[in-house]
Amino acid sequence: MNDAEPDIILQTRNLKETYMQGKVPIHALQGVDLEVRRGELVSIVGPSGSGKSTLLSIIGMLEIPTEGSVFIDGIEVTGVKAKEIPRLRREKIGFVFQHFNLLPALTALGNVEIAMRFARVHKKERIKRAREVLTEMGLGERLNHKPSEMSGGEQQRVSIARALANRPAIILADEPTGEVDTKTRDLIIGILRRLSDGGQTVIIVTHDPWVAERTDRVITLVDGRVEDS
Amino acid sequence: MFDIILRNLSQRKIRTALTIFGIGLGIFAVIVMGSMSENFNQTFETSFALTADKIRVFGSSGVFGGSVTTSKAAEVRKVPGVHDAYGLLMAPLEEGGGMSFGGNQVIGLPPEKSNTVLGPVQVKEGRDLVRGDRYVTVIGSSIATQYDIGVGDRIEIQDKYFTVVGELEYTGSFFDASAAIPLDIAQDVYDMGNMVSMIFAIPEEGVDGDLLAKRIKLSVDGVDTLSPSELEEEAKQGLMIFSVITVSAAVLAAIIGGLSVMNTMLMSVMERTKEFGILKAMGAERRDILLMTVGEAAIMGLLGGLLGLACGWVAVFGINLWLAEKGIVLFLITPRLVAIAMLFAILLGTLSGIYPALRATGMSPMEALRYE
Repeated sequence: MNDAEPDIILQTRNLKETYMQGKVPIHALQGVDLEVRRGELVSIVGPSGSGKSTLLSIIGMLEIPTEGSVFIDGIEVTGVKAKEIPRLRREKIGFVFQHFNLLPALTALGNVEIAMRFARVHKKERIKRAREVLTEMGLGERLNHKPSEMSGGEQQRVSIARALANRPAIILADEPTGEVDTKTRDLIIGILRRLSDGGQTVIIVTHDPWVAERTDRVITLVDGRVEDS
Repeated sequence: MFDIILRNLSQRKIRTALTIFGIGLGIFAVIVMGSMSENFNQTFETSFALTADKIRVFGSSGVFGGSVTTSKAAEVRKVPGVHDAYGLLMAPLEEGGGMSFGGNQVIGLPPEKSNTVLGPVQVKEGRDLVRGDRYVTVIGSSIATQYDIGVGDRIEIQDKYFTVVGELEYTGSFFDASAAIPLDIAQDVYDMGNMVSMIFAIPEEGVDGDLLAKRIKLSVDGVDTLSPSELEEEAKQGLMIFSVITVSAAVLAAIIGGLSVMNTMLMSVMERTKEFGILKAMGAERRDILLMTVGEAAIMGLLGGLLGLACGWVAVFGINLWLAEKGIVLFLITPRLVAIAMLFAILLGTLSGIYPALRATGMSPMEALRYE
């Protein structure tokens, strides 16, 4: 357990990530310390190669840092056994990707419902919850449509619904408006803001200053270090 | 999970169908070759069961090779522990026909022993041979079918006509393809003088067949014996070699089918790299990915097995129907064969899916998500 304040949902301590590009070591993160409060809408900005996506992957337990710790909801996720990671990922993290990453063969309902299967949620409950979150996203009429039959904005809303399905502690959104037009961008950011206002913690990685301006706090990464937050 | 597996399989219909066809072809070979082997096994087992109490006595020049004279039967009969002994002449029914497994044969036997030799087999119609019979015969069911003859009809053996006086019921043994005629007539038409192919020695009740066989060998000059257990062992070795050859060929075909499953699954796993990344990001565990991937391979194995079984059954049924006109039964599909073939198909599919599944589970979720 960490000694952070109770409303701190995410804390990173001296987070470092180094990987080899051929024989050249690349220091993607060089000691990142940050804290995010419960219900906060935070954006992480910075130039390409500043370590934004690496930071998001480590927080999302998709990558293991070379050094340092990550605490989510009071649990040091960097210190748990590998076999515990999928369960923690289900319980603590919901991902929203730039390219939506929906499963093309499944309907909107199927894409949201599948996320709960791995949490061993009963089928009836899965369908009920998937309908609820999709309806919340304004997709009540598009439940049985496949991704290929939906617009980019609709697909991203399915992706957000999927991220919300398991009621995670944090939603990590990697360039969620990178693939949509400005009207849809406004809609997506509106949804994320609404979620945050409802108590859901949301962390967005973005290149778009317009998006960053609409978050509670902007964390700027430069060369793997937090320059401003 | 089952619905996801089926969905994944139906996503690549042609590839899945071809893979199932590959497995099906292998299992088809297992069924056809295996049913041939099963038929020979059953024929032997039934034949053996019907003559299990008898010791074979041959000329000492070799088993199945050396003939003995009729008079030796009297010598064998005198050996303590022997209840009865009589000579038999075995010869091919058709001219130029060999004494091959499954071929038609003539059994020359003392008519008064007809009931003992053919005893285990019921006479379906007519009667056994009796003392005083000459150019008459009792035929097996396959000969009756093949020659389309019955009691009262005549059959030509070595240019002589024999009247059918009895027809045996079907047993699945060599008796089905046998025509029993009086021994002296057989020796005459086959120009064998007083020679017989072998002597059947029947032990007295409670006498051990193996020990008696040794005693006969020691007591009677110029003979060799084959006790029931020796006969069983020798025949089983022969059948084992046959089974190994036929089943190996079939298993090889099935393994090629299994490799096609592995190839399909490897391609499928590679194509779905990103999907596995997404599933892992959503919290899928190692066992979920394993179950999904191995499950697909196992279902392809199951469907391939069912396809091979159905095609094999149709082929075996068709060939048996065609051969029935010739009085031959070549294939026998047993529950044991079906169970082995299906288990083999599912195992083959499952095992072929394990390596691709391990590759899928071993992927780093981040790398999988970046895969294009």
